[in-house]
Amino acid sequence: MQEKIAEEEMVTPGEVLGKGSEVKAGRGAYIAPYNNTVYASLTGRRCIVPSSPESPDQRPTVEVIGHKAHGPVPEPGCVVIARVTKVMARMASADIMCVGSKAVREKFSGIIRQQDVRATEIDKVDMHTSFRPGDIVKASVLSLGDARAYYLSTAQNELGVVSAESMAGGTMVPISWTEMQCPLTGQIEQRKVAKVGA
Amino acid sequence: MAAKAGASPATYSPSPTTYKKNRPPIFTDVDWVRPDGRDFHQCRPAFLRTGAVNAASGSAYAEFGNTKVMVSIFGPRESKKAMIYSDIGRLNCNASDNKEISSQLHKSLEGAIMLDTFPKTTVDVFALVLESGGCDLPVVISCASLALADAGIMMYDLVAAVSVVCTSSCLGKNLVIDPVSEEENYQDGGLMITCLPSRNEVTQLTITGEWSTPKIHEAMELCLDACSKLGKIMRSCLKESSSTSQE
Repeated sequence: MQEKIAEEEMVTPGEVLGKGSEVKAGRGAYIAPYNNTVYASLTGRRCIVPSSPESPDQRPTVEVIGHKAHGPVPEPGCVVIARVTKVMARMASADIMCVGSKAVREKFSGIIRQQDVRATEIDKVDMHTSFRPGDIVKASVLSLGDARAYYLSTAQNELGVVSAESMAGGTMVPISWTEMQCPLTGQIEQRKVAKVGA
Repeated sequence: MAAKAGASPATYSPSPTTYKKNRPPIFTDVDWVRPDGRDFHQCRPAFLRTGAVNAASGSAYAEFGNTKVMVSIFGPRESKKAMIYSDIGRLNCNASDNKEISSQLHKSLEGAIMLDTFPKTTVDVFALVLESGGCDLPVVISCASLALADAGIMMYDLVAAVSVVCTSSCLGKNLVIDPVSEEENYQDGGLMITCLPSRNEVTQLTITGEWSTPKIHEAMELCLDACSKLGKIMRSCLKESSSTSQE
């Protein structure tokens, strides 16, 4: 594992972190092409990550570790927790509440399309047997989507409904890949269940 | 009704005595003393603090003499549904519904923010002028860039803004830096520069009124020098506030 050495001194946006010939620009830093200098773009502590021994480029990477993380923004490839708001024939809308393990300050809109619900038999997916409004789902962000919503996908074993409420009002227990059972009434409801745990 | 014979025709031109009405010089000699006792080329002391507003992602408060300004930043957050998709971020500036300050604030900040680090989302900048003691726009701009740095928005550099007025009739032939409201009222022309101090780049230059070329050069040099000093003050404020929040 590469060790990060965080320095004591704070840097502010626009401060010079090093020359482009000696260091690479990591997160929180950028390189100005016209004078080949690496500047900071955030307020925080400077941190130097040594380069891995196999890589051809032996320059260490300089990063700025932000002292104050503003609310996270969904990015393609990250796993998010969302609450389903609407279920329609070919897609479900969901409000993204957490990105990774951090809660967002204000919710983002996401969409799970019919073809992104599961990996197999994607044209035979019935949205109403996969999600219901109010379900908490774990999904991954496929792309930035369009102006209105991010595109989400639950097409993996560990993605899907994490927590759902039955029609009777109890929190359901997953019993298979596609079914959850209400502890109060014993009724079985269909969902696209996420495999949680080891 | 017929005009009387021999009467001069009705005319709207002003009578000769009031024709050449100049602004009366306030002080006929050059010894205008600034209300707060500053030198003509001396800026007001700056009081800057970040983290004033808890509900916002980032905020800053600036007090330059009698000009008190507070800026809060919200974002990056979801753009309104009506907006078209954009693969870079958006900046939305609002200075309590003052369109002019809002649009100038937008122009000066958008050159400094890395918009492509937050695609599709919007960063909202809300500026509130608590007390207007002259030189409002430059103080708002400097305060906004501090607030953006406090909010963790990636920027190329901090933005420092300074303005200078030139007066030739009233306060003697002088360039007055960081004017108070009284001095702004007597100006012949104003010049405002917003620049990125450590990269020595200008994001906005606004010149109004009557200027001669040598005066413009002198004023620009004054402003750029003051901007670099203001930049140092802003950096030390950021470092101080983030090291106290770490403890």
